[in-house]
Amino acid sequence: MSALGGPKQAGGIQPPTAMGLVLGIVLIIIALILAFFLVQMAGLIALIGIIIGGVLIGFGVHFVPVGGAPAAMGQAPGIATGVAMLAAGAGLAGLFGGAWAAPLGFAVALAGGAIGGGLLMAITCTMVNVIYVFGMGIPAASGKVDKDPITGDSFPEYKSQGTEGHGLPFISWVGGVIGGALGGLGGTLIYLELLDVYQAQLPVILNATVEQIAPIAISLAGIFAVAMFLINAVLAAYNITGTIEGPHDPKFKRFPRAIIAAAVASAVAGIFAIGLLELVGVF
Amino acid sequence: MSVKIEVGAGGIPHNQILIYGLVGSVILIYLTYLNTYMQAPYFAFFGGLAAVVALIWGTDTIKHLCSYGLGTGVPSAGMIALGSGVIAALFGATTGPFAPIVTVIVAAIIGAVAGLMANAVVRMDIPVMVVSLIELAIVGAITVLGLAAMACGTFEFLGMITGQISFFGFTITSYETSLIGGSIIAVIFMLGAIAIQHSFNACLGPGEQQDRTLMLAAECGFLSMIVVAIMSFAFIDRYAAIITLVIAIIGWLYTYKKYIELSKRDAYAWLDAQPILEPKGGA
Amino acid sequence: MEEIIFGIGITALAGALATVAGAAEDVESDIGSQGDPNSQVQLAPQMGYIHRIFNKAIAGEPPAYGLWVALGAGLAWAFMAMQINPILAIVLGSALAVFVQGVYATTAYLGRTASLAKFGQPVYIDILKSMTTVTMAHAFVAIFATVAMCHLIISALGHPFPLPLLGLVWGIALGAAGSATGNPFYGKERQYQEQKFGAGVPISASGNIVRYAEAGQRNSLDNGFFSAKLGGPASGICFGLIVFFELWRTVVFEEFNIWGPIIVGVVVILVFAIIDRYIEVWARKNFGPYTAPEEASS
Repeated sequence: MSALGGPKQAGGIQPPTAMGLVLGIVLIIIALILAFFLVQMAGLIALIGIIIGGVLIGFGVHFVPVGGAPAAMGQAPGIATGVAMLAAGAGLAGLFGGAWAAPLGFAVALAGGAIGGGLLMAITCTMVNVIYVFGMGIPAASGKVDKDPITGDSFPEYKSQGTEGHGLPFISWVGGVIGGALGGLGGTLIYLELLDVYQAQLPVILNATVEQIAPIAISLAGIFAVAMFLINAVLAAYNITGTIEGPHDPKFKRFPRAIIAAAVASAVAGIFAIGLLELVGVF
Repeated sequence: MSVKIEVGAGGIPHNQILIYGLVGSVILIYLTYLNTYMQAPYFAFFGGLAAVVALIWGTDTIKHLCSYGLGTGVPSAGMIALGSGVIAALFGATTGPFAPIVTVIVAAIIGAVAGLMANAVVRMDIPVMVVSLIELAIVGAITVLGLAAMACGTFEFLGMITGQISFFGFTITSYETSLIGGSIIAVIFMLGAIAIQHSFNACLGPGEQQDRTLMLAAECGFLSMIVVAIMSFAFIDRYAAIITLVIAIIGWLYTYKKYIELSKRDAYAWLDAQPILEPKGGA
Repeated sequence: MEEIIFGIGITALAGALATVAGAAEDVESDIGSQGDPNSQVQLAPQMGYIHRIFNKAIAGEPPAYGLWVALGAGLAWAFMAMQINPILAIVLGSALAVFVQGVYATTAYLGRTASLAKFGQPVYIDILKSMTTVTMAHAFVAIFATVAMCHLIISALGHPFPLPLLGLVWGIALGAAGSATGNPFYGKERQYQEQKFGAGVPISASGNIVRYAEAGQRNSLDNGFFSAKLGGPASGICFGLIVFFELWRTVVFEEFNIWGPIIVGVVVILVFAIIDRYIEVWARKNFGPYTAPEEASS
């Protein structure tokens, strides 16, 4: 899953087309109106939460250092996995922690989700460096900048010949943790909003207590959170075109496009998730 | 230096497969409605067959999309397809008898939005992106709905959230041991996500042939049917599940055998315990 | 207090299971050659280097392991819903998931190799027959350990997610952690063993993987035995630490203060930052630069 072929890119970053922007804004407004119409204030807040969650996921994916196939050979810096799925791994580990802390309160659950994702990335990035340094004897060096923005380490002389850098310089490590934290935060936010909506609606529709329908609400909210996580992560991966070194990479400046795309995709998917139970029993 | 995605030419035109796929899978899903008509879940296997037809269609769509230069690899297309599809399938399931039609329409909407975002906002600028993502979202939704209908005997939401557990010989309805309550829908989601992209991903290369790729797609579909049939023992009557399992195993054995024959036909050489055949003229 | 001690015991067991799972996952993906290093196995015949390595192209480790573990967990859940003993249910579920994995592995090898016919890469049936069962065995260990860990987290520690959903979550995390840690070691150290140690592979050498081994022609089992020495255990420690810290900080500190796990999590991240920085500086100091700094700024 490395950057292969693809359409010709003109020099510089291509901004979103006007039609795309207008369409996006129109879709978000329609979704917000529908949310208010269907589930009143609670629905509106839930949809805004889902949109923010999707944006956080799309933004967070840009921080995660992914090198793709060349990284597996020590030819490029970053982690040697696909970007969407690495972000998904971090975000879902965060969702695990956030869902566990859900009964304790909104803020605690969100923080738990963020820390869960950040912790997975912290440990993974450290072990990647352990392998590179102690297993392969290769120091970390970035190919896109000459000096590390945080630590001031210089890179050109630590880059082996014929490669574009290797390992995880400290800026990439920090980027990975931030990306994991944002992904976990976004995923948990989507999960919590949907859980609230379903736990309010299901007891009324099915004439049961909140504890009885809990497995259904948790399951639905969980699978929708995973699905929306993947949609947003893949759109962000399309934005990055496969590999990125971290926040210092010039490709990072493309993130506004992914934020808009993630917001619109989350709004449209979110309105179907929020309005899920409106038609139960109608037909 | 990385792998180039090349697509073999020739074979059945994509639009033909689209029509057969769409019409065929919707009809097959509707045949599971015979369960409700006859008050017995013996026709659940039609849902699995619908998923197989949808997967064949989806594989050709991914091939079509990649021939236009999708840069970041095949598996992400599968993820975004199933991500949109599972939301659409669960939403459509709430509309009772109209579930397959509503699912297709909702999946088309979500897929269109994702495609427009990818083309216009993230500027992938691939000509067939929007149409392909619409098709993939529909394929994903039908796969989820079909396998879910096969597992619990109905494609209606209320059927998916109620299950039965037996306590000392008494059976009581419970929300926890249902398709959604037990989160089997997550397994179906992941089965579809891997199956839809596996055939094209596995047959990637200059010698890719359409009949071999589509045979592999059918084989992945029947394999998914086998495991979902085993899981359906927890939801539907034992004899109905056995019928489904037998049909799935027969289908899988047939497609697997034919796939191996087709691979033998296409391979350069079919050697057993032979050394490396260096190409003429050396490396 | 007893709750915390019970919780710590379960956490330790879960951490141990996760370590085993991570190690088995990485060795399995190296024997089958899955994920990013597999692009080299795919590329080699196109550059004229015919080989006898298993080419298992199944989408990369995180989604693939997401599927195997979710499948194992889903089947285990279904068996448990049919009143079968949990341990037997997990064993049966993992076995069936491994059957699916084996079938996918064989179809991936046949498909990719048959499509490389133009470059003269033959399909080696003996590779298919011998490697498939070995990858299945390692995958069984990984899947069983992860599903058992998930079952413990739900039934002993009280997590709200149902078993299949938790299996999906931890399966993807297992694939991500194992893939990130193990892939460079397999890709650079073993596939490109003939390149100089201590430097990355130059781009000009792409595709020239090692095909003739210590004695005879290399196959994927040789790669498995190599990565089981460092790549596998490192992946195991990575995933084991992830699971352990995730559970430990919640189980021990949630009783005292609901913000306890958060604060402990931040502290652990900072500790890892210090460790990582130390490793990075150690490498720079002890390995030294490849060239003198003034010459290298081109």
